[in-house]
Amino acid sequence: MTTIQGSTIGFQDRAGYRRTMNGIRNSTLPILIVLVFIVASISVPQFFTFETVRAILLATSITGIMAAGMTALTLSGNLFSLGVTASVVLSGVLYLRTANATGSIFLGALVAILAALVLGLGQGFIVGLGLNPVVVTLGAGAVIYGSTAMITGGEVVAAGSRDAGRFATFAVAGIPLPVLMLVAFTAVAWFLTERTTIGRDVHLVGWNKDTARNSGISFMATTIWAFLIFSVGIGIAAVLQVSQTLQVQADNFPEITMNVVAAVLIGGTAVTGGDGSPIKSVIGALFIATTTQIMVLAGVEQGMRYFVLGVVVVVLVITLHLLRRAGSR
Amino acid sequence: MNATDPSRLEATGISKSYGAVKALTDVDITLKPGEVMALLGENGAGKSTIVKIISGLISPDEGTIKIDGHEVELHTVSASQAAGVAVVHQEFSTVGTLSVAENLVLGQREASRWWAPRRLNTSARAILARVGLEDLDPSTPVEKLSVAEMQLVEIARVLAKDAKIVIFDEPTAALSDAEIERVLTVVRRLAAEGRSIIYVTHRLGEVFEIADQVVIFRNGRSQPPQKVSDLNVDKVITMMIGRELGDLYPQRAETLGEVVLETHDLKVAGTRGAVNLQLRRGEILGLTGQLGSGTTNIMQAIAGTEDVLAGTVELDGAKLDLSSRRRGIVSGVAYCSPDRKRDGVFRGVAILDNLSSPWVRRVSSFGVVNRRKESAEAVRDASHFAIDHTRMQTLVGNLSGGNQQKVAVGKWLGINPRVLLVEEPTRGVDVGARAEIYAQLRHLCESGVSVIVSSSDTHEVLGLSDTVATFYRGRQTVIKPAGEWTEPDLVREVMHREEAFA
Repeated sequence: MTTIQGSTIGFQDRAGYRRTMNGIRNSTLPILIVLVFIVASISVPQFFTFETVRAILLATSITGIMAAGMTALTLSGNLFSLGVTASVVLSGVLYLRTANATGSIFLGALVAILAALVLGLGQGFIVGLGLNPVVVTLGAGAVIYGSTAMITGGEVVAAGSRDAGRFATFAVAGIPLPVLMLVAFTAVAWFLTERTTIGRDVHLVGWNKDTARNSGISFMATTIWAFLIFSVGIGIAAVLQVSQTLQVQADNFPEITMNVVAAVLIGGTAVTGGDGSPIKSVIGALFIATTTQIMVLAGVEQGMRYFVLGVVVVVLVITLHLLRRAGSR
Repeated sequence: MNATDPSRLEATGISKSYGAVKALTDVDITLKPGEVMALLGENGAGKSTIVKIISGLISPDEGTIKIDGHEVELHTVSASQAAGVAVVHQEFSTVGTLSVAENLVLGQREASRWWAPRRLNTSARAILARVGLEDLDPSTPVEKLSVAEMQLVEIARVLAKDAKIVIFDEPTAALSDAEIERVLTVVRRLAAEGRSIIYVTHRLGEVFEIADQVVIFRNGRSQPPQKVSDLNVDKVITMMIGRELGDLYPQRAETLGEVVLETHDLKVAGTRGAVNLQLRRGEILGLTGQLGSGTTNIMQAIAGTEDVLAGTVELDGAKLDLSSRRRGIVSGVAYCSPDRKRDGVFRGVAILDNLSSPWVRRVSSFGVVNRRKESAEAVRDASHFAIDHTRMQTLVGNLSGGNQQKVAVGKWLGINPRVLLVEEPTRGVDVGARAEIYAQLRHLCESGVSVIVSSSDTHEVLGLSDTVATFYRGRQTVIKPAGEWTEPDLVREVMHREEAFA
């Protein structure tokens, strides 16, 4: 137990100190991204071109959509889903198969999103019963991966025609659809978590599950809602991802889960729940995409890229954690 | 024992403040070898603060402590242990997954670094025999033990440390009579070995069984020590209370209305008898009892968060759905938990969102929160409850205990409650804010809400309530209007007759 010493810092000073610390915490990542851009524009010759920025935004969009969705989960105090990759692959397979069979990419997208929602509902229900979300999503991920491998027989599922890639290539005024989807989905996720009763419950359950229960907020219902928001993100991201690659296999995209978790973490959403925002997670995804793209342009090898990114994520997360602690004292 | 005996422990002029709140003022305690001293007092009187100081958990602001005539600085727990002090805590400090023997060496300074289970078990057996646990296998994990056995292992841990001064902090609060007897036997044996004992308790019966002298705490001050042989239960109770019911409490209701809530042979998990209570319009009904008396379980059952085994609760003549908190809220039952930090408020969240948490759906359309409406209602509730409505964005965790409690109660105004259930309404709240909270509760009553308060503070229950019901070990015992109780009666009833008259 810690003792409370008679503090000499008055309430006003303390409030000012807290505000400063929280201010630093909230602006750390945007400042870092700007710095990285400036440094890269100077040191990497072909960096600040339309093509590079477009590539960065495209790379951000898919991770960003999932990170914005996963933020709802993290906010509700349910940590992360470690089964992202498996769900994306299954939804992707269903998208291609449906599109191939019916010739309608919209029907394909609908089936993909519905599949993600069903998977999310199941996992949300189990976690809502009080089971550990990490264990549940990890286990569900394995089951989903196994199912996908059995459905596809381990074969590559390919697009029947180039039409299946229209979601990735379509653009409005030069802005690719995935980027527009990122903006739209983030706006929706933000609205849901900040302006609706569901979002309010998500935050409150994340802050304190027991107080939430005593205030009449259902942990089960809130957890399921959080999983559903996340699942819509997975469904959309899966369609966009497969529209880019035009093919998918059961063991594709192993890096997705880690990237999404990292985006949420360095975005500054509290692992313990309650505090955070989908927008922050998208900024986190933008940071990861930018750093990766710079290293690609600078010719850094893949192993080194993962290493550098890992170190940056760990350092950032620790810094944000320390700032949060200072800000709440 | 004669007057020239050196004192084992001599604490003089001990004072301690937390911010503006004086927890201890000028406390003196003297303890001789082989002596058992009982510390008595109401909640918040300062007993646990002096125990924490002697055990090195907190440092006093003023005063000196001498052990065997030498002045000592007990600024850390290990300094206190080195000086020969050991504490048997009320909460268990054993590690559940480790074995009994392993727990016995845990935290011992001179324990061997080598983990030798067989040697450990042999020495453990000898120690366990001294607390009457000779039949217990030392390799049993502690989590498999009964509460009484855990308490005895806790005491055995202290024996393993060979301390000169042993502090018992309410060691029997969760035990049954037979189990208490085992603890008392061990205490007597320790005293006979020449150790000095400080025994903190709420149970008066025990005091007369084992103590040599009694020190009573009141409002952070210690009264001069009294020989047990010069005392009786009534004297002790008068000394503990020491004051009349003052201006702290608002006027009681003059007339009570029709019955609003009624329990019919309600049986709740964790209690033993059936509970029959009637709550009338505009009434404050006080439930009181010691830890484990069942008041908490009954309150939570009516709130919808504890299992109901049998019986029903009627609200305005209709059967109340006790299946969840949500249903209770819909029917107009508000509930404030006894531990606001744990499950009463959201500390990391602004006052506004805390206040609106039970009723935010009412100010929303199609799931979208109408923030203007929410804020307007919350501000109104805040001003009702004397919460500074210009600071609605302040995080509740940054408020004082009293203001946090106001938020914990005030958030229920917005559901237009028929019945408000409040457990421990002023735990950890300073005197000024207490009076305010009492006045607010009474004010709510006058506006037509009926209130049930449960508290282990008999003074508070008596001062605040119109009707008082007592509980003892899971059974409802006596219920009568507050005017027909006197405080000594109530204290005696709560501690229970047989025990107090023993």
